[in-house]
Amino acid sequence: MASALIVNHLRKDYAHIHAVDDVSFEVNEGEIFGLIGPNGAGKTTTLESVLGLTSYDQGSICIFGNDLSKNPDEAKELIGAQLQNSQLPDVMTPRQALILCASFYKDSVPADELIERFQLKEKANSNFASLSGGQKQRLSLALAFVNKPKLVILDEPTAGLDPQSRKELHALIAEQRSHGVTIVFTTHFLEEARTLCDRIAFIKNGSIIGLGSPESLIEQSALNTKIKVRVSRVITEEALLLLPFVISVKSISGFENLIETTRVNKTLSALTSYLDSTGIELHDLQINRPTLDDAFAYFVSSVI
Amino acid sequence: MIKGFFYHLILSLKLNFKSKQPLIYGYLVPVFFLIAFGAVFRNGNPPLIHQMSQLITISALGGACFGMPTALVSERDRGWLRRYKLFPHGLMPLVLSTLVARFILIASAALLQILLAHFFYGTPFPEYPLYFCIAYCAVAIAFLGVGLVIAGVAKNVPAVQALGQCIFLPLIMIGGVGVPLLVLPDWAQKVATFLPGKYACEAIQSGFTLDGHGSVFELNIIVLLVMGGSALVVGSKLFKWGQNDTISFNTRYWIMIALLPWLFAGFFSLKTDRWHPIAEVPIDEAKAITETQMNQISFDNLPPDDGTVTPIAAPDVDLPLESSTRLDLIRSKLEQWTPGHNKNSAQAIRCLLCVVAVADVNEDQLEGSIAQTVFQYIQDTFSPTEVEHGLAWVALYPSSGLTVNSVPELKIEGDFYEKTIRIRAQIYAIKFFGRIRHKLAN
Repeated sequence: MASALIVNHLRKDYAHIHAVDDVSFEVNEGEIFGLIGPNGAGKTTTLESVLGLTSYDQGSICIFGNDLSKNPDEAKELIGAQLQNSQLPDVMTPRQALILCASFYKDSVPADELIERFQLKEKANSNFASLSGGQKQRLSLALAFVNKPKLVILDEPTAGLDPQSRKELHALIAEQRSHGVTIVFTTHFLEEARTLCDRIAFIKNGSIIGLGSPESLIEQSALNTKIKVRVSRVITEEALLLLPFVISVKSISGFENLIETTRVNKTLSALTSYLDSTGIELHDLQINRPTLDDAFAYFVSSVI
Repeated sequence: MIKGFFYHLILSLKLNFKSKQPLIYGYLVPVFFLIAFGAVFRNGNPPLIHQMSQLITISALGGACFGMPTALVSERDRGWLRRYKLFPHGLMPLVLSTLVARFILIASAALLQILLAHFFYGTPFPEYPLYFCIAYCAVAIAFLGVGLVIAGVAKNVPAVQALGQCIFLPLIMIGGVGVPLLVLPDWAQKVATFLPGKYACEAIQSGFTLDGHGSVFELNIIVLLVMGGSALVVGSKLFKWGQNDTISFNTRYWIMIALLPWLFAGFFSLKTDRWHPIAEVPIDEAKAITETQMNQISFDNLPPDDGTVTPIAAPDVDLPLESSTRLDLIRSKLEQWTPGHNKNSAQAIRCLLCVVAVADVNEDQLEGSIAQTVFQYIQDTFSPTEVEHGLAWVALYPSSGLTVNSVPELKIEGDFYEKTIRIRAQIYAIKFFGRIRHKLAN
């Protein structure tokens, strides 16, 4: 598979602070790639370097074979971007903004097509100031696709949106992949990343601390499944630790425990046998598989 | 890139007319200045002729040093400007179309001022349009350059206002833009040579009255173009796409490059003794009188033609032989009468009207017929335009020019006060003018 984006040993310093410190990753063509990290981790600086909005001190960025430092204009023809905190002038309409942005590129999508695709028809000729938050975000997304880009960068596209608008935007982003577009985006919502992304990079303090598919990251985190049980009588932690494949036990209350296991089936089977033999009644049982949030927390804490 | 340039240019103009603030600052404020200047200088000869350069410079200065940077910085604050950086070749089309759009806006404001001044105050149009156009372009380039530097240096919109005032106020107060340099003390006139306002006003004034034409005009244009060119280069260098973009320490030195032409111009003017303000070239008042001014001449409450004050006889009245012989003599003497052949036709007409006025004040037996004879003589001697402007000049400016208070050489008795003659001459001028314009019966 061809590489859409190659970031190699990227470094950017702000007054002796390493905003981005030796970041390297590669995004394949047609992939949705997520860049996840806490505030100030270096996500936006990395993406702005890719977009040519910020100069970088070291490293290289290659977009579909075009070195950004050598052929910036060729590279820019291939990229679309949705920027954080980019507001149109109040009196500009979505249609005017789309035509304006299109006029700067060699090839572009007709404004009407984007208005249709991003559900902006009823507000196409209204002033930007009169658009709702969701409509503004959809317009911002539409602007990213104005030049028929092969690579689209989305910087927190769902920030500040209500759950319904976020869901609509997820559908729109997923749909764009069907047009053969490669998407790189940042988000704070890990569930969003898990739903949309083929691969994810965790970034912290300007460095990549984890890279892979959501599943592989969870696997890499080596986190175990947790079984939460509520029973009719108190069971001692020692008794539960004797069950097979149990690594740890945490008492939540007298009748409730959290059991961490490496083999869920074996531990559950042994647990039910133990309860039968002791006459303890099972009131509630929950199996908590590790999530991307857990994996992220693991990677972040492991760096500390 | 060209497509982007044109679409951005057209959209910038469209959006400008959709917002209230640019309309207020771009058009209403210049009109307000016009009204303010008009209130003071409307009685000038012709009205506002020596203030138009100041008015036009003020509107160019406001639009370029406040309007343009405010629009750029507010777009930058909203994060919208960063989007242009995503485009291939984003800077050049953006900066160029922004400058051209602003040029069109300030030029339209200047045109509005000229038209309003002409129709409301009777200010003549620029008599030397080529000089005016060259001067206006140079002034616009100089101030737009300053505006671009302000946009690059200012952190936010309030900072634009503060920096704009740092340029605007000195130019208004001691730069020759608001207060005329001629009324300022020497030290202020010398300081003004370091500011672009003096050169801007002088250059534009050449378009109206040819004040400071020739080498002075050329020097003013060169100074303005160098100031503007260097500021545009520096402004592009300092251009910031985003609110958080900072100017590096080394880049700040570029601001000095923008100011160097100001210093050079100042020292050069001081060294070559060019710091003195250009004296106003006397205007040919009669020639400068506009149609609007002529239309303002009132024919109400004039003394009747058959009364004792300013009578005019009918052209076909039968006179005794002796009277007609005397009129023929006067007419033939007028042919040789030196004041009636002044090379300034308006002054010649004023003198001829004085002849009629002397006959009238003296209550000459043939005063009405003398008036008719002189009126005929004026029409036979001068071109219709010269007659119109000459009569309008005496009617509108009774105190101007020279008078003749006695004409014994024409065999008309009497020697009267100048003021009396001027008043009678003015009334005759109005009566004759009314006849030419078919507003009064002959």
